This record gives sequence, structure tokens and C-alpha cells, in this order.
Amino acid sequence: MEKRKSLIKIKPKKYKTGEIVKVSFMVMHPMETGMRKDKKTGKIVPAHYINEVNFTFNGKPITTMKTWESLSTNPVFTIYFKVPGKGELKVVYKDNQGEVNEKSKKIKPKG
Amino acid sequence: MQRRSFLRGLGLAAAASTVVVPGMVMAAEAPKGPNAFSIDAAVQAITGGKPVVASPKVHLKAPQIAENGAVVPVTVEVDSPMTDDDYIKAIHIFATKNSNVRCADVMLTPANGKAMLATRVKLGTSQDVMVLVETSKGEFLSASQNVKVTIGGCG
Repeated sequence: MEKRKSLIKIKPKKYKTGEIVKVSFMVMHPMETGMRKDKKTGKIVPAHYINEVNFTFNGKPITTMKTWESLSTNPVFTIYFKVPGKGELKVVYKDNQGEVNEKSKKIKPKG
Repeated sequence: MQRRSFLRGLGLAAAASTVVVPGMVMAAEAPKGPNAFSIDAAVQAITGGKPVVASPKVHLKAPQIAENGAVVPVTVEVDSPMTDDDYIKAIHIFATKNSNVRCADVMLTPANGKAMLATRVKLGTSQDVMVLVETSKGEFLSASQNVKVTIGGCG
């Protein structure tokens, strides 16, 4: 299993409790459609795409996504999130080949 | 134009088209592949036959001309108070002419604060990007925009 690079970005960087912030989640993933042919071998590259992305805060679900291969390579998901207080924002993502990965970021509101 | 340069140009164009052909053929043919799904069937599966209203509340932002179909940024914003009684339940994004029209189903909760989703999709050819929004009251709103693709993103 390959290790995936992923990143959670929060904008603005400084925020208060109750403020609505933009959360971007980026992940390096090939997102193969299963219809592309390898130019060297001529064989069809098997489908490999993210099919589930779940955003949770302290274990409570915020946003759940079901996705298909029509998303771009290295997809980005941006949503808004109302900061309820201190805690941990966690993103769990699964793909159709059974990989399950997660990435988390601490939420520390100021004031 | 001189005959020589014209012919050379023709040759280049032919070479380019042969390279592009696999992707183009795939995009132009009827849906196939493991996840083939037509747009009508996809919408029907979500709404269950309920009427879909094109609404100005749904703001869909996508480029009118996308040079590269492999990466097309799409932003959906919906006007909604996002309170416990009145919020946007789900945003569905479709690429109407891809072999699998479904791009993403996003289930939102009041914890989001604002109903918005931004992501990047692949588009095989020039087509409409369509958004279907489900509110907590059970209404279905939609918006769509045509995107012209210069180079297809599948293939």
C-alpha cells in the first residue's frame, strides 16, 4: 500500500469560536478511471479512485462525500465549517481498492 | 500560404488527431465501463421522481472554456441559513456527458455554517456541468452551466 500525501488547509489562519472558516482538503491520488490505456504496455490501467471522504470534528460527522472517478487527479475538496470550539478535525478517505487513510488537524480557536 | 507549409500543418494535425483519438472515441460513444450511468437515471435515482426546479439560489461557478479537461475547477454555493430546521442536505455534481455522469454526492450538515463545495472534475468533452441540490424540506434545486473543453480529460 502506497503512502498518500495529503494536506488540510484552513482559511483564515486565525479564527475565533463560532466563525465560519474554509477547509480545503487535498490529497495526492491518481484517480484512474479504468478506461485509460498504458501507452507502453497497451494494457488498460485498472480503476483506482477515491469513493468516500468523511469530514468529522471530535467524532461528529460534518460532511460525508461519495465520489467517483470523474473527479480530477489529485482532487481538492473545499467546504465551509463553523468552528464550535477546540478539537480535532479529521478527514478519512477510502478508495475502491480498499485503501483507507486519514489526516487530522487540530482546531485551536483564539478567543 | 505556401503549399509546403500547408502540407506540413496538415500532417501535424493528422498526427495530433491520431494521438487524441482513443480519448475522443471513448467520450463520444454511449456510456460504457463498470460505472456507466446516464444522467436521467442518476437524477431519477436521487430524486425518486420528484420535480427538480432550476433555482437562482444555486450558484454554480465553472469556467466557460476549460483548456484542459483533466482539471476543471467547479464551485457550488447555495443560499441557505444552514440552521437545524432549514439547511442544505446534499449537493450532487454531474458531468452530463462523461461515461459515469456522477462526480460527487456531498452530504452536508448544519455544522458546515455555509453550503458550499469546491472541487475539481474531469471532463471528457464539451458538456454541461449540472448540480442538483437537496434541501432539508425535500425540495430539489438545480443549476447547470456549459463548459467548453479544448483537450479532453479522459484518455
